[in-house]
Amino acid sequence: MSGTAMEAGRFGSGRVVNRIEDAALVRGQGQFTDDRSQPGELHCVFVRSPHAHARIQGIDVDALRAMPGVMAVITGADLVAAGVKPLPPVAGFKRPDGTPAASAARRALAHEVVRFVGEPVLAVLADTLAQARAAADAAWVDYDELPSVTGVCDALAAGAPRVIDGAPDNISAQQRHGDAQACAAAFDSAAHRIVLDIDNQRLAPTPIEPRAVQAEVDPETGRLTMWLSSQMPTGIRNALSDLLPDLPKDKVRVRVGDVGGGFGMKTGAYPEDIAVAHAARVTGRPVRWRAERLEEFTAAVHGRDVISRAELALDAHGRVLALRVRSFANTGAYAGGTGVAIPLLIGPWVSTSVYDIPVIDFDLNAVMTHTTAMGAYRGAGRPEAIYLIERLMDAAARELKLDPAELRRRNFIAPSQMPYRNPMGQTYDCGQFERVMDQGLALADYAGYEARRAQSQQRGRLRGRGLATFLEWTGGNVFEERVTVDVTPDGFIEVCSAVQGMGQGIATSLAQLAVDVFDVPLDRIRVVMGDTDRNNGFGSAGSRSIFTGGSAVKVAAQRTVDHARELASQALEAPVADVEYAAGRYTIAGTDRGIGLFELAGGQPGARIHVDATSAVGGPTWPNGCHICEVEVDPDTGEVEVVAYASVNDIGRVISPAIARGQIDGGAVQGIGQALCEKVSFDPASGQNLTGTLMDYAMPRVDGFRAFKTAFDEATPCTVNPIGVKGVGELGTIGATPAVVNAVVDALATAGLGRAAEALQMPLTAEQVWRALARRELPASPFKVS
Amino acid sequence: MSDQHDIGFTVNGRAVTLTTSATTLLLDALRGPLGLTGTHAGCDTAQCGACTVVVDGLAVKSCSVLAVQCAGRAVTTVEGLAAADGTLSKLQQAFVDCHGLQCGFCTPGMRRSAAALRGRVPQPSEPQILDALEGNLCRCTGYTNIVAAVQQAAATRAGSPA
Repeated sequence: MSGTAMEAGRFGSGRVVNRIEDAALVRGQGQFTDDRSQPGELHCVFVRSPHAHARIQGIDVDALRAMPGVMAVITGADLVAAGVKPLPPVAGFKRPDGTPAASAARRALAHEVVRFVGEPVLAVLADTLAQARAAADAAWVDYDELPSVTGVCDALAAGAPRVIDGAPDNISAQQRHGDAQACAAAFDSAAHRIVLDIDNQRLAPTPIEPRAVQAEVDPETGRLTMWLSSQMPTGIRNALSDLLPDLPKDKVRVRVGDVGGGFGMKTGAYPEDIAVAHAARVTGRPVRWRAERLEEFTAAVHGRDVISRAELALDAHGRVLALRVRSFANTGAYAGGTGVAIPLLIGPWVSTSVYDIPVIDFDLNAVMTHTTAMGAYRGAGRPEAIYLIERLMDAAARELKLDPAELRRRNFIAPSQMPYRNPMGQTYDCGQFERVMDQGLALADYAGYEARRAQSQQRGRLRGRGLATFLEWTGGNVFEERVTVDVTPDGFIEVCSAVQGMGQGIATSLAQLAVDVFDVPLDRIRVVMGDTDRNNGFGSAGSRSIFTGGSAVKVAAQRTVDHARELASQALEAPVADVEYAAGRYTIAGTDRGIGLFELAGGQPGARIHVDATSAVGGPTWPNGCHICEVEVDPDTGEVEVVAYASVNDIGRVISPAIARGQIDGGAVQGIGQALCEKVSFDPASGQNLTGTLMDYAMPRVDGFRAFKTAFDEATPCTVNPIGVKGVGELGTIGATPAVVNAVVDALATAGLGRAAEALQMPLTAEQVWRALARRELPASPFKVS
Repeated sequence: MSDQHDIGFTVNGRAVTLTTSATTLLLDALRGPLGLTGTHAGCDTAQCGACTVVVDGLAVKSCSVLAVQCAGRAVTTVEGLAAADGTLSKLQQAFVDCHGLQCGFCTPGMRRSAAALRGRVPQPSEPQILDALEGNLCRCTGYTNIVAAVQQAAATRAGSPA
């Protein structure tokens, strides 16, 4: 029952352990939401708008309601009549004219107007999925089509179709940061000015598990229980309570089972969540819905989609004097808090990154279009910000004829400057950026590059190298976490956390942290998440789970050991100061008299030791890294292949090495996907989503690059949490995109295009690269804003 | 003429009979009436491979096979590998050892594709592994550890150290 200290130590933090999640998952015994079924359940199918912008003139549902198996058909008007409120609009931001940020009311089912292709209009409930689909296919909605606009630049043009009347320019919100005058002066005096127009293209997060929602109401208590694939169960509970009538928070329970990938797409409440909950309440039967992949591509949140003009001013020695950015981010048709904060605030927090840049001038705009709503996708603003500065740094190096690493070296914030307050007012607690880059250069054999390039050339390939040195912000701005611990006489310690597993192995990492304190084998720890009746909190996003959730577990575990020591002292009738704890047992120092932790629990009222501990970390963490990529380009076809990728990552103390490495490498493949093949495209004329299936949206596949060299430098533990940990989940994605693109630009620049190669835009398809090489045709600037 | 058909086939070595519509997909038959939810639905266009099962030794996408097409055939799903005492198969153990799964949603499909390959090529080369897994998407792992797991399982079978 209790292991030796040595045995427990094999499983504590810093060790590679088999994940506790794997026993069920690898046997095909995962409990994903759609795996559940309830007797008497209704299947829900949504009828969605085929138009990007239209008025709903009429809906004929009588025929549908008469179809076999159909129990209910719910319209947007039904929800309005029932008092279901729209999802909360963006708050806390302003338009350029000072009025509050603009947004259309986003209803669970569209009412009177539809604003993007795929917006849900009807919910059809039937006994079987086939019956619900048949009825949905027969639905007749009379739309009066209206002009639409999908691209940010088109939306800003004079006379563009308006998303809402209150914003004739389609601007939802604007934020200025920095000092425009000081910046202008810096540019005037600068020896070098670098300008890049950048399109950070729209992406679909595409977790392999589509969203799934189930709802049922207890007929006696009226209590609503939801099961869904979500990263933030408490947020969902709060949204349901806020938006559905007569539903106080204690009348809602949200449960989350296994989640097949989230990546930010499964953070906020969706219209479908509200509609399914409402359907369960009005039909009195359990309701289930699983998104089809087309629905995910058209109606689940997209990420990125921001067009920027970015400028760097440098002195003659390559010291950066100022950074100026003017950007226009697509919010989609419904500007929500997340979709606006990401480009206007969260990303910009790290725009100056690891460099000591004294002056900034940011003019950041959120623009509405008739497209899917935007939200968080792995990195959420930080990839966009880091992409800009890293593209600028490589361009500056090219202009100044400096090695890209040397240019960065001249601009790093030094350790002696820590804690460092950046021009956005964010304070980095620690970081050794030059040290990390030096390790990265060594790992990548930076010095040996020329020989490899010559070899590539002999094989008829162009070779390029790209560097990204960067940091990122983590934490989600919520630093408090509650953890409960229950020790029971059957020999288990149950730790309940409000962070949420979605594949990142957080249960294993939390268990390892518990093992550090309890000094028992890993299999004695049970981690419980995903039940709003048991615990509430912000959930998992922004790479916060390990450092906020993990710190809270460590605190709660320590409080449990301390509390149990007092119980032991009573049981042993010895002073507390004489009672020691090791390997699951309390003993009186200098004797062999003692009592086991689990036996002690059995003797307590309720036969358990229960601790409820809320604690907070001191602030966000700033993980950082150096990612170096080498590519080969086939000049005959334009195909780009990643052929080498090395990274050194500072994530503070590493709790679970294999898991952390999996986060970096898996995230990097997503970043490579953005660089080379992924893009959500709309037809400008009709607003149709052109990349609505996995045949059209190009995902990285098994034959992509896999030989990552990934290292961690643990020399700089975080100073604002008790476990010294920095977040890791998004770091790989943030670093990979600029590293890959810088490498391709390098290959083409070296092949004779020079700085003209910097006009390349993502994704770097073979066609674009071939046109650049064979025809010197480069894309026009995407920044078509006056 | 009734739309319902009686079909008999084996699932994981066990004979089953099912009465179902001609339009029922094998995926839905497995997940629904047969209660085998280990096989997953990830897309509508047979691209993602999360639904992969093995039918008469071939990896197939069960979202694109009708249940009635399996009459008289042997279907094996991810649940089929479990030993009675719960011991993991070599491939399952390799996935755990190599950190070859994160969210686990694509894993059953990956395992079935690997199993079908193993049936044909006990010691596959890396290009053969990549070819066998080409129809299976993963968004979490970046594939490195999945390929490593398949290689480790093959090495373990051959008796050489992983």
